[in-house]
Amino acid sequence: MKRFTNLLKKEIKELVTKQLVFSLLFTVILFNFIGRVTKKEVQKAIGVQTISALDQDGTEASRALLKFLESGLPGPSPATTIPPYKILDQSGKTKEQALETAKAGESKLLLVIPKGYGDSLTELKPSEIETYSFMRSFSLIGARSQVVVQGVIAALNEAQSNSYLKEKLPGMDPTAIKKPIKTKDFVVVQDRVAEGEANMVAGLISQQSLLIPVVLMMIVIYSSQMVISAVAMEKQNKTLETLLTVPIKRTSIITAKMLAAGLVGLISAGVYMFGFKGFFGGIGDEAAMAGAQAGGPALMQKLGLTFSTSGYIILGLSIFLAILVALALAMILGVLAEDFRSAQNMIMPLTFMVMIPYFISLFADINTVSLPIKIFILAIPFSHPFLVSQNLYLGNYGMIAAGLGYMLVVFVILVIFAARVFSTDKILTMKLRFGKKKAAVA
Amino acid sequence: MPNVLTVRGLKKSYGSQMALAGIDFEVRAGEVFALIGPNGAGKTTTLRVIATLLTSSAGEITFLDHDLCKDPDFVREKISYLPEEAGAYKDMKGLDYLHFMANFYAGTPEEEKEFVDRAVAITALGEKLGDRLRTKVGTYSKGMTRKLLLARALMTKPALAILDEPTSGLDVLNALEVREIIRHYVKEGTSVLLSSHNMLEIEFLSDRVALINKGLILDTGTPTELKDKHQAKNLEEVFRSSVR
Repeated sequence: MKRFTNLLKKEIKELVTKQLVFSLLFTVILFNFIGRVTKKEVQKAIGVQTISALDQDGTEASRALLKFLESGLPGPSPATTIPPYKILDQSGKTKEQALETAKAGESKLLLVIPKGYGDSLTELKPSEIETYSFMRSFSLIGARSQVVVQGVIAALNEAQSNSYLKEKLPGMDPTAIKKPIKTKDFVVVQDRVAEGEANMVAGLISQQSLLIPVVLMMIVIYSSQMVISAVAMEKQNKTLETLLTVPIKRTSIITAKMLAAGLVGLISAGVYMFGFKGFFGGIGDEAAMAGAQAGGPALMQKLGLTFSTSGYIILGLSIFLAILVALALAMILGVLAEDFRSAQNMIMPLTFMVMIPYFISLFADINTVSLPIKIFILAIPFSHPFLVSQNLYLGNYGMIAAGLGYMLVVFVILVIFAARVFSTDKILTMKLRFGKKKAAVA
Repeated sequence: MPNVLTVRGLKKSYGSQMALAGIDFEVRAGEVFALIGPNGAGKTTTLRVIATLLTSSAGEITFLDHDLCKDPDFVREKISYLPEEAGAYKDMKGLDYLHFMANFYAGTPEEEKEFVDRAVAITALGEKLGDRLRTKVGTYSKGMTRKLLLARALMTKPALAILDEPTSGLDVLNALEVREIIRHYVKEGTSVLLSSHNMLEIEFLSDRVALINKGLILDTGTPTELKDKHQAKNLEEVFRSSVR
């Protein structure tokens, strides 16, 4: 054990370099900074919007319209809610003056209610209202000014049509006339039923499990790269032969390298994720707020779509097994590498093996793809952690158990192979030279 | 003198390529035994098999009454191996490297310190490496690195030190210092099995010599015996006469 600890310490010291610490710190600071900036912008974008209004009509109807915009109209869901707007009154100015004032200020748009608006309303004729939207930036958040315009127009139409209906059909609820059929949406997951919208559930699930594939992909790629490089560097620096003749079991050498890379990879991924959390925190706010407003968390709870402690343990176990498989595979690839440079090439196939299920899980449902593709994906050990959360939600425990079992079997086979490679001449004779004709024997 | 190592009928092949075609020799306690021969003769392969890095294709190797093939862990406890192109961990300080290596062999912290102190003494035999031991190995010259590695190989007083071309790539002064270190520490009870293609070096260092060529041992004896037998002035002439 003393010898193993000695080797493990050396492996960890080799991996935890100043460059690594600096790069981790830099990432955390950078992502948190970007996250804070983005968060502020998002909050601005989803907060009360300021618009300017030039009322050239000056009738009771036009004043009522602006008052409606100022108060908003709460609805049962975000889609049917008309938010309140902050209105900067430009009355008494010409259109040009109002445009200049609004442009110089913080207004997203200028609304011009022309003379005769009230009369057309009385005559039940379509009225024309001018909007001037100010595009001050072309970023995703800046482009929200168009959303504001659409929101304002929707609100105006709502107000106008309500006004018509109230005038012509006094005593009737305008909403009941416009939407005579009301829907009550339910979502069914296995044997649980809850009131809510399916697209909201899907959105919240993808939001909940957004970080899982990112964490997995980062740890697997990062740790594997460290193991491959660690073995390749021993070869390049001519230290491997000496290490193999000291009194320590070959399996201990493999374990120390894998454990050190796994630990450092896990910590690094944790630090990176802390940084990413700060970054995604800014972007995810809008969706989180929308979900929370509509009772998203309660709906997920009712449908059993939240992780229990055992769920987290299963997910953790799956990720852990995937990391072990990657490390064992990396150990073998590291033996094949002749030096540090070729080790960088060796990481490519492993990266692809992680990227394939990652991208498929982002854009498609692995369960609905064709059988040959499904078999191909399931044969990749790293696919299973991507499927665990979905299978946990849907209660597919058989699939989860099969995935865990498969990864364990692959890991055992790879470790046995790695141990054999380290215990035989192959550790010194197996080489794969890129750009050369054949696998050479020393 | 009892044998530390006995090699009988050792064969090693890489696929169809025969590197060792059946060699026999023994290393006695407290002696320096050298394998000499040209490049590709099979010297390094022999040393690698005895250092438990490679497995043999056939033959028997007995080390301190243990079968080397069956009990490589025992062998690794008692030997130390200095490969021809060995390196040390560049980001480690010299002293940390010695502690790291000593830790594998030492049973207690006191013993580890004893090993490291001995290594420091070895390195100080020649150029004053003492202060440089506190700097990173990556900053050492080739000669300094070689002395550090030699000190590492001898600090545990192994039953058998296996040294592959110990002065390879060194200038005359550094090579002389390394030879002096080897001779000095052999007196303390370590047996040495070394290889070289430098016949003069072998003549200076070795008690007994085996001439090896194309995976076969051509002749074995003390340098004087071999020179007398082949009526030669030096080992180079002995080797030329044996190859004919």
